[in-house]
Amino acid sequence: MKPLLFTLLGIAFIIALFSGATAINPFAMSNIEQEILLSLRLPRVLFSAVIGGMLALSGSVYQLTLKNPLADSFTTGTASSAALGAVLGIACGLPVPLVPVLALITGLCGLMMVYRLSINDGVINPVTMILAGVVVNIVASAVISFSKFYFEESLSSIVFWLMGGFFIVDWTRLIVCALLLAISFVLLQRIGLQLNLLAFDEASARTMGIDVARLRRFSFVLATLLVAVAVSHTGIIGFVGLITPHVARSLYGSDMKRNLTASTLLGALLLMLADAGARSIIPGGAELPVGIITALLGGVFFLYLLRTRRERLWHG
Amino acid sequence: MAELRIDGLDFTRGDFHLQLPPLRVATGEKLAILGENGSGKSTLLQLLTGLLDGKEQIYYDQQLLTQIPTIERARIFALLPQQAQVIFPFSVFEVVLFGRFAQTDGRNPQENDRVQTRLLLDQLDLTHLAERSFNQLSGGEQRRVMLARALNQQAQILFLDEPNASLDVRHSLDIFQFLKQTTQTVISPVHDINLAANFFERFWLLKNGQLLADVSHDELTNELLSETFDVQVSNTAGNFSFSR
Repeated sequence: MKPLLFTLLGIAFIIALFSGATAINPFAMSNIEQEILLSLRLPRVLFSAVIGGMLALSGSVYQLTLKNPLADSFTTGTASSAALGAVLGIACGLPVPLVPVLALITGLCGLMMVYRLSINDGVINPVTMILAGVVVNIVASAVISFSKFYFEESLSSIVFWLMGGFFIVDWTRLIVCALLLAISFVLLQRIGLQLNLLAFDEASARTMGIDVARLRRFSFVLATLLVAVAVSHTGIIGFVGLITPHVARSLYGSDMKRNLTASTLLGALLLMLADAGARSIIPGGAELPVGIITALLGGVFFLYLLRTRRERLWHG
Repeated sequence: MAELRIDGLDFTRGDFHLQLPPLRVATGEKLAILGENGSGKSTLLQLLTGLLDGKEQIYYDQQLLTQIPTIERARIFALLPQQAQVIFPFSVFEVVLFGRFAQTDGRNPQENDRVQTRLLLDQLDLTHLAERSFNQLSGGEQRRVMLARALNQQAQILFLDEPNASLDVRHSLDIFQFLKQTTQTVISPVHDINLAANFFERFWLLKNGQLLADVSHDELTNELLSETFDVQVSNTAGNFSFSR
């Protein structure tokens, strides 16, 4: 599995590096072009890869722990509740490092609300979960829009949060996110076998030897932390975590250890390419928020899942 | 091997009340739990496996259940719940192999775990399904795979909630024959009374959350069954028949 994915990842990296408003010939670069490539494009491409990996990893965990093929940070309302926390944190003048903490708290609150609404007697109703997620999403987005408009009277910043993109990139942010991604990945890999057992019904899983409640709590917090940090830096980029775990599963099977790896790599790949597209689609150097592209892709994919999984969604 | 001891049990949920006197189940016993729907069979299994918390005093080999770590419990007992399911298209082999989790102490399964899994699949007539996706199997096939998963835990006590639910008659007989021969303790709510009478040696008759009787095979009389299920029971040549 590894060689193919890493090759694709490499190709996507090169494509992303050389897409954008300024066409750069890698074999005859001027000093300015070199500067653009190394200090603007390189960190941005790496940042999009890291954020893509974070969102995809969280999506893989959400789909497992919520037992729902349609779950990801966006459909569960986690991303928008985390964004709400980040917006409020910034509006209240919270120091920058504390913004993701508040985002984590509100993100967890949103997730727990959706989780509690959709669980009944230990069984999660997938349809209720999606509906609850939609409602949380709408309410959180409304509050975000209101506070942005009220405090800043700026529509563009609303777009930033609701249709996320890579507008502010620097090496510090990149390193923080990359570290978080690496640590979360290792932690999740270490409990990969236990995560597999979470795919069973609760009674089976518990009597097979795992502490389901503790494992689920840990997974929720870690996945939501990934989302909260990603959202604090880039706003809401939806559906990356919805698409990639499915593709990973159909390519490499359901085993969670493999799924975590493949999802992360595919998430990086997807977001690098999506961002390359966002930088090149509009002529004249204007940028599209990358969230628009992932929402388009994800929406279509969501419809496809609804169609193919309809029976199982309604009948569990 | 593990002996199960219940030092009295008292559990209430809503207006349902389950109460048992002190009971013991020795190693290797084959115990069927009989009773109407809602008599407390599944609740009892949930209490005995620690899925429900009550004020009950349940011991495995002198060790209080609530003090046994989760992974250790999985080596003492395995449970086949009524609604066993797994999301994601895992293969049958993977599903059964997951049963080894506690035996490998949560580490990656080794070659001998795979060998053991293949052996079990063979014994349960599942080898031809090994590479199929679990979710694409029929209800009866899924049931047998889940049973294999529970057996693969190699626990000392098997709690099997209606192991033959949705199984055809041949596979039902095969499964019960298999269970009869194992050295493990089997504790199992069963709906088919004649099957239970043929393969089990001890019977708990539950009614409205109370233990009506704790009897051996020979003491399982028409009268007792009649009282348990509120039906007329007759017995010809060792086969019970029922009528209203």
